[in-house]
Amino acid sequence: MLAPAMAAAAILVLLPVLDTLWMSLHDVVLFRPRSRPFIGLENYTIALTDPVFWESLGNSLVWVICAVSLQFALGFTAALLLNRSFAWRGIARALIVVPWALPSVIIGLIWTWMLDFNLGVLNEIGVRLGILSASVPWLAQSSTAMGGVIVAIVWQGFPFFAVTLLAGLQAIPGELYEAASIDGAGPWGRFRHITLPGLAGVIATALLLRMIWVANSLDLILVMTGGGPGTATQTLPLHAFLTAWSGGNYGQGSALAVLLTLLLLGVVITYIWRSRER
Amino acid sequence: MKRRTLLTGAAATLAATPLARPHAQKPVTISWWYHFDDPKATPDELVAAFEKDNPGIKIEPENIPWGGGGDYDNRMYTSLIAGDGPDTAMVKFNNLARLMEMDALTPLDKWIDAWPGKSDISADLWRLHTAPDGKRYYMPLQYVVMYLYVRLDLLAKVNQKPPTNFDEFLAAAKATTAGEQWGFGLRGGSGGHDSWMPFAFGTGAKPVKGGFVSPAALSQNRYFIDLHRVHKVCPPSAPTDAFLQIINNMKAGRTAMTVHHISTANDMVATFGDAITAVPVPRGPNGTGWATFGDGSNAVFSASKNPEAAWRWISWLSTGPNNVLYNKAAGQMTVTTSGAAHWTLHPKRFVDATVQSLPIAGVLPNLPQTADFTRVVWPQNTQKALLGQIQPDDMMQAFEKLFFS
Repeated sequence: MLAPAMAAAAILVLLPVLDTLWMSLHDVVLFRPRSRPFIGLENYTIALTDPVFWESLGNSLVWVICAVSLQFALGFTAALLLNRSFAWRGIARALIVVPWALPSVIIGLIWTWMLDFNLGVLNEIGVRLGILSASVPWLAQSSTAMGGVIVAIVWQGFPFFAVTLLAGLQAIPGELYEAASIDGAGPWGRFRHITLPGLAGVIATALLLRMIWVANSLDLILVMTGGGPGTATQTLPLHAFLTAWSGGNYGQGSALAVLLTLLLLGVVITYIWRSRER
Repeated sequence: MKRRTLLTGAAATLAATPLARPHAQKPVTISWWYHFDDPKATPDELVAAFEKDNPGIKIEPENIPWGGGGDYDNRMYTSLIAGDGPDTAMVKFNNLARLMEMDALTPLDKWIDAWPGKSDISADLWRLHTAPDGKRYYMPLQYVVMYLYVRLDLLAKVNQKPPTNFDEFLAAAKATTAGEQWGFGLRGGSGGHDSWMPFAFGTGAKPVKGGFVSPAALSQNRYFIDLHRVHKVCPPSAPTDAFLQIINNMKAGRTAMTVHHISTANDMVATFGDAITAVPVPRGPNGTGWATFGDGSNAVFSASKNPEAAWRWISWLSTGPNNVLYNKAAGQMTVTTSGAAHWTLHPKRFVDATVQSLPIAGVLPNLPQTADFTRVVWPQNTQKALLGQIQPDDMMQAFEKLFFS
């Protein structure tokens, strides 16, 4: 009975993984198709001794921690607000999904133009309101570029938390809140002792999933900055992509992809362990 | 033995009979990959005209997404490796070395030497289209040469003339920088290497082994980086500004000068009329200079089953009036001398600036690393230098290491 599912998993998941591992141990260069010598761990040695790898790893940590925590905070707030009764609630719940539904390339282009030094609406508003003394090249200076791309992915990803946590909130029985109110619990007490424990499982699963997705995502950064200026916004998956796609060095790119997978393995194992428990 | 001879003779006779002819005369289909900057432009008119002149050959053009050049190139490499590539395609110098390493190209020399149109293409262009091994794999199709756009009215206000050397250029850039207006639209983002080379190699340095770290190149590169870091004559967004930004800044009157080529000339004239012109990029003290050559060629792939028919198509495209018609769609310069003599697609002053730059036109080394240099290594290191994260000399060391270590 399990054979078809196992076969599908092997073809769709295992084979590409094994192929990536094989390539990472060989000198695979796109424009040298007839020569693919085995070079052992040399691709890994090169990657780990390259300062760009460590810079990209540092950028990845900033990218994942800031993006996921801000998405979570914004999404949780939105979920709490959308769980209350108010006019047009149905429309608000539908509209909040829009950023999540848009393709990353579109979102990247929208935010690139909004943050543009010459024509960007955010600079225009900032200058007119007196918040900024002059236009700021947000994506052209290393001190603000990472912030710019994080804002974009937070906007794209917070609806995932909002919708997931809203579903979790609706699954908490209303009687618990009534009982707590009768026992004298205030809003903070009800939130701390009913809402948070009731959502703990959903929050953990959503955070784990989103961490994996954000850590692997590169499309938004590729569109907005290409990893620049310099390497200020270059994350590990983007480094692997540029090495393989632009440099034609698939062996080196595969080694970087394997290293990224190993780094994410802890998060993945935690997710699988939680899934099995449930 | 006699029987074999008889059979061979019979086969030869059969092949010569009218029954065999329909097969022999079956139209040959040639697949051709191309890309035009203008998404509305198509080669349909050209294909129809060629097929009318050559009834035995059918052309299947396929517009391949450009994606900054990387998407086009990688699709080409992967399709060739998979054995599913086109017969012929538009190609760029920066992938010549990689295609040569793949043995993917057919040498065109014997056909070029016998081609009546050879003398209609200038010696400068044939020189640039010769590979490091002395053979010619690329057929000239279109070209541009980087020149300097100058807002004459803005320079006149501060008593400056279009610069001819680097001292005059800096003086003009400084004089036209004020408030929300900058003297020079520097391109530090994607594709910026084409605008950087006229500065780096403008006083005699060459992109050969040791050339990137030669005193002339190092000094000129410091001059280039200092335009942004020290003299502040470029918009603050310069480190990541790419094609759209430098052109939009120029058209919005935010910059007085920028480096680009003739494909944007009509757009500039539509915005500024006679107030804008183009001049060759600044030259060094001894008349040295470097104008980046922007190539567009066709190549016939060695895997093609009909290389002669593919050659017929690409040579037809590079012939006098056909090449003019082609460049109406491509928006670039014809490679034929006869076509250039009666060129009406761009105002004469922009054509003159292009043609005057040809003697100093140059290209990057034809090495497998060139594509990686243009897409990743140049922008990363240049942006770091423009932002003060590394020294200008460090970026040149990185380039030398990439190409020649």
